[in-house]
Amino acid sequence: MLRRKRNQLANELTFSQKVINSIFLALVFIIMFLPMWNVIVVSTSTALGASRAGVILWWSKFSLEGYGYVFKILKLGRAFFNSMYVSLLSTVLQVILSALGGYILVQKELPFQRTMTSFILLTMMIPGDLTLISIYQVNKQLGLLNSYTGLIVNGLISAFCILLMRNYFLTVPVSLAESARLDGASEFRIYWNIFLPLSIPGLATVSFLEFVGKWNSIMIPATLITEQRLYTLPLMLKSIIVDSSSISGMPPAPDNAVMAAIVISSIPLIFVYIFAQRFLLEGITLGATKE
Amino acid sequence: MLIDRKTLIKIRKYKSIYLMFVPIAIYFIVFSYYPLILGIISSFRESILIGTPKFVGVENYKNVLSNPLYSEAFMNTIIVNFFTFIVQFIFSLFIALSLNEVKNKMIRSSIQTVTYIPNLLSWAIVGGMWIRILSPTGMLNNILKLIYGNDFNPIVFMAEPRFARTIMVLTGAWKGAGYFAVLLLTAIVSIDQSIYESASIDGASRFKQILYITVPNIVPTMKIITVLGSMNFLRNFDQIFIMGNANIFSKVRNLLCLIYTDGVVNFKIGIATAAATMVLITTFIISTIVRRLTKYDETFN
Repeated sequence: MLRRKRNQLANELTFSQKVINSIFLALVFIIMFLPMWNVIVVSTSTALGASRAGVILWWSKFSLEGYGYVFKILKLGRAFFNSMYVSLLSTVLQVILSALGGYILVQKELPFQRTMTSFILLTMMIPGDLTLISIYQVNKQLGLLNSYTGLIVNGLISAFCILLMRNYFLTVPVSLAESARLDGASEFRIYWNIFLPLSIPGLATVSFLEFVGKWNSIMIPATLITEQRLYTLPLMLKSIIVDSSSISGMPPAPDNAVMAAIVISSIPLIFVYIFAQRFLLEGITLGATKE
Repeated sequence: MLIDRKTLIKIRKYKSIYLMFVPIAIYFIVFSYYPLILGIISSFRESILIGTPKFVGVENYKNVLSNPLYSEAFMNTIIVNFFTFIVQFIFSLFIALSLNEVKNKMIRSSIQTVTYIPNLLSWAIVGGMWIRILSPTGMLNNILKLIYGNDFNPIVFMAEPRFARTIMVLTGAWKGAGYFAVLLLTAIVSIDQSIYESASIDGASRFKQILYITVPNIVPTMKIITVLGSMNFLRNFDQIFIMGNANIFSKVRNLLCLIYTDGVVNFKIGIATAAATMVLITTFIISTIVRRLTKYDETFN
């Protein structure tokens, strides 16, 4: 009896260590949560409440006027639409294409398969942000500056996502594909009806990565877009937060409106995260370890 | 003949797969390989907007190397990114080890979610948030006021060069810690529980178990994190693009931001592409060295 108790104790921290651990985690929670909480409270306060002195962690008066200001005066709606349109369309295209790429990578007896594989994987060595200037030139030559197509096409496929899809496809039994082939199914049918339905977690992970990536992308839009009607949310946020009064000539937005813009830009991300969460851990680790 | 009959039949059989490859090949040629080659060519040419630019040899490279702005940006990049990585790494390691000791699932997953969320958000969001928090009327100054009393003079954090690098390091670590913590926690969870059991029978305290079992067992994951970090060592555009300003640029403006300004804003394409090519090569060298040092490739073969 005593011995069992001692064993149990050895699998837990001592009481004082537990206290230290809890204090540390409480601190972590505060450091991570407080700034975000402050944003939420300020965004739903009145302009007056948002500018009052003191650490704002609770409402003096709840109000949604900041959100109204964001849409009416800062016209964030347009940027929100741009971001949504570009991110959704890119995600759909990216998933289809990286799944195609992954399918090519699992074909063992395909002639020139190795060449095709290295052609794809070598691009991982070419970071897009370092070829930024030439990417600007290429887009200029193709007439993609200031266009939705430019925003969608740039950074559409990544070797990383192709590799991720390949890793999922490898878990699909070869015999399934073989028997389908004997039954006379076309390659595209095998891909569409066997491989894709069996790789839903992979597809979810890739969609998540692409959506978040496009939604958050700053560099490419900042390079390609100069017209305000095509601004995506990050560009819009930058002009609201950073250069509001000095460059755009707009009056500086009140704190509650700025925070409301930040909350609005975050909501879709939190939303997709909740959906993708259960696939995500697997995806992240698979991507990181088998890279 | 290069291709024999057997392969030819196979090629015919798989022709739809080659068809699948076409869009991917076109994409990578246009948006990966062509820009790379174009960049290298432009780095040897003069920067003019109209007409055919003349070949100037290594002139642009010399200009970059002798330009004090670029050496300043290089130092900023190295210092800020190195310390961000270190702080983020240590912070996330402690979070992961400490979270693993929490038995309550609710507490565990809520702390994990809260630490992971900033990693989801763009720098436009996170940066905007911190700019407001660090403003003279923001949360941090108000906290300091609570501590030091009402005669405390608010600090304009974002305009003070002496705080600039610390701010970038800490906000960078704040944003990224959750991601590293998830990777480390996954590794910790997958450690064989029987090792702990036999250690506890041998009388090792839980603290000793963490030190001598958990930490050594997650070294491979730490290596991955280091390699991933080293590949991004010279590349941190978004944070400085959003959070940088004229007051603090001398302390934080990094290579990519300078390349962007020179190439996209000021059209000095030759110089910008020369700098980008050098960054590309340096990144490649750093990540190769780190891969060797951590024996990264061997871990997964």
